[in-house]
Amino acid sequence: MGALEVQPVGVIMLSIEDLFVVAVVWGVVIVFSWFFSKYLFTVFTGGKSRLDKFFKPIENFIYTLSGIESTKNMGWKEYFKALFYLNVAQTVIALFILMFQANLPLNPMHYQGMSWSLAFNTVLSFSSNTNLQHYNGETTLSYLSQMSAIQFLQFTSAATGLAAGVAILRGFAGKARTIGNFYFDYVRSLTRVLLPLTFITTLVLIALGIPQSLGGYTLIPTLQKDAYEILYRGPIASLVSIMQLGTNGGGYFGANSAYPLQNPSQVTDFLELGMMMFIPTATLFMFGRMVGDNREGRTLFLAAYAIYGIDLIIAFLPKVHTGRGLEVGYGGAASVFWTVTTTAFTTGSVNASLAAFNPVVIFTGFIGMLIQGAPGGEGIGAMYLIMYVIVTIFLVGLMAGRTPEYLGIKIEGRDVKLAVMAFLTHPIIILVPTVLAFAIGAEKAAGLTTNSIGFTQIFYEFTSSAANNGSDFLGASGNTIFFNVTTGIVMWLGRYLPMLFMLAIADSVAVRKRTPSQGLKTGNISFVVILVVSIFILTVLTFFPFLVLGPILQFLEGFKTSFGGVIFAL
Amino acid sequence: MKGVKSLSTNVRLALISLLICGLVFPIVMTGIGQVTLPWQSNGSQVYYDGKSIGSELIAQNFTVPVFFHPRNDSASGVDPDITLKDAMSQVPRIHNATGISESVLNATLLKYRQYTLFFFGTPYVNVLEVNLYLVKTYPSIYSQYVQ
Repeated sequence: MGALEVQPVGVIMLSIEDLFVVAVVWGVVIVFSWFFSKYLFTVFTGGKSRLDKFFKPIENFIYTLSGIESTKNMGWKEYFKALFYLNVAQTVIALFILMFQANLPLNPMHYQGMSWSLAFNTVLSFSSNTNLQHYNGETTLSYLSQMSAIQFLQFTSAATGLAAGVAILRGFAGKARTIGNFYFDYVRSLTRVLLPLTFITTLVLIALGIPQSLGGYTLIPTLQKDAYEILYRGPIASLVSIMQLGTNGGGYFGANSAYPLQNPSQVTDFLELGMMMFIPTATLFMFGRMVGDNREGRTLFLAAYAIYGIDLIIAFLPKVHTGRGLEVGYGGAASVFWTVTTTAFTTGSVNASLAAFNPVVIFTGFIGMLIQGAPGGEGIGAMYLIMYVIVTIFLVGLMAGRTPEYLGIKIEGRDVKLAVMAFLTHPIIILVPTVLAFAIGAEKAAGLTTNSIGFTQIFYEFTSSAANNGSDFLGASGNTIFFNVTTGIVMWLGRYLPMLFMLAIADSVAVRKRTPSQGLKTGNISFVVILVVSIFILTVLTFFPFLVLGPILQFLEGFKTSFGGVIFAL
Repeated sequence: MKGVKSLSTNVRLALISLLICGLVFPIVMTGIGQVTLPWQSNGSQVYYDGKSIGSELIAQNFTVPVFFHPRNDSASGVDPDITLKDAMSQVPRIHNATGISESVLNATLLKYRQYTLFFFGTPYVNVLEVNLYLVKTYPSIYSQYVQ
């Protein structure tokens, strides 16, 4: 990856193409996810379904083989332990596959095993739904590693995130008086949500040109005499399906969804975009159904999409040229739309080189990742929105002098403390390692310079890790022991600590007495406005000094280049 | 004992997940893909003279002046498409190298023109498609430059 260039700031322009693209994709995703939320509700409340006849035997077989009691309700500690230990087991299995792929089957290219630090980084990255990649998959990983380490963890981390998110929503909704059973949520996420959806999308993506093959990589003589290309055929369509539907983002190729075999056309580009938005959006609507009042789901949805929409408007302000680093066939608008969406949903796949974008676009990427709930990743986005609701209700309660209440539940001191701990996890694990990296000169080892551009790249690296996003500037140049180990630890802390805190709150409110709300109503538009403003204030104020040193300074430098000459000439 | 049971449950569930998501699913999808959509599943390869000359989705290394050239600065480095504007700027070079008239070359580009977003967006062409058309239409000029 090359260094970020200071780009001239163009004329403010939102073209018809931009508006059309966003309107169509949003419209389709919102309508489909509204209907899908009904299905999700049935899946996770254990309601009767015609599909039981097909899925129940499979699920019971999995429960029996693993020795699981799927009907036993768990407390927050038990729920978290089950989730965490399962993830540890999966991570260890994947670590072995990556390190010893040379001695395992399905390695026709005879690739070597990964170094311990790179394998460590990669498995922590994929198990935490981050998918930060310090390697180029097509030249590093065997078919077995792509399937049994990468796709495997992409499925399980999506199922884990969805399970945790559902448990927290279930606790707040209160109808079940419990946060539920982890294994029930996890297994159903796989059997009834992720596997059926990826089955369909894999077939569609193959039809649209994404390979699905185990036939080996071949060197083919191309049209011009003495010219060759390597055709990377692999199990790509199935990987792309789960990487997008599971808000994972880690690609088969180092260039991710800018590589044509992972994203052949504008049609696949929009489809892949819609896929990453689908489940997180449906989860927000599902919350309304769980509460028994669709307005409560609508509040979370509107707040999340308002922030996402504001990000898009800001990102579209600088005129985007189809130029260096952008793929022609998708159009410039699609690349900006993708970059904002991939950070808003903390997916992290990219369809263009981040270095090609104006710092304004990168700035909006930061906003999406720092908020994490706009609309955020699989299950986890909803969790962060609930966290912001608690903090906001507490702040409003302080100002109005009323006892804070949400859904008729009195919000107690312990809830606020835990929510604030979940909120503060993020700045601590981003800002401390960013400063540490510059203190020990780690940026030079990765080939970066100590200026606003290098600062943006390192700050982005840790933000993306903490937010379990995974898009990055460093790519394979981040494969140093320092970045492998530090980002690995940051990814796991950013994943599991907020989950733990939020499960603890959800478990205690699940059984708490509910009285018809006396205080602030949360199902109306004025609360949406309060929530959005409070999310912006909380997040931007926390990170403002770092944003100034990075993308804002870079923007001003670009501004000076474009308009400085004009001003001095006058 | 409780700890041992929970460890064994988690390891077993991890292995079952690995089997279903990490092996059975991608391999079954590969089987279905190979049977129902073999051309796409194997990388959308283009054939010339009965032989595969690579994927229509991957930019080829065209370097001699008689061909349209892809750009190689994009994010992937293998973008198979160039904008129509970029292609038209290469027309005088190809005219000089081959003697094919500029109006014919421009008409060829328009014939292979595609748009991002139906008709709203940027017009572009697939470089391999256009070059392959030239090779087939003007064999006497191009035969010395191809495999």
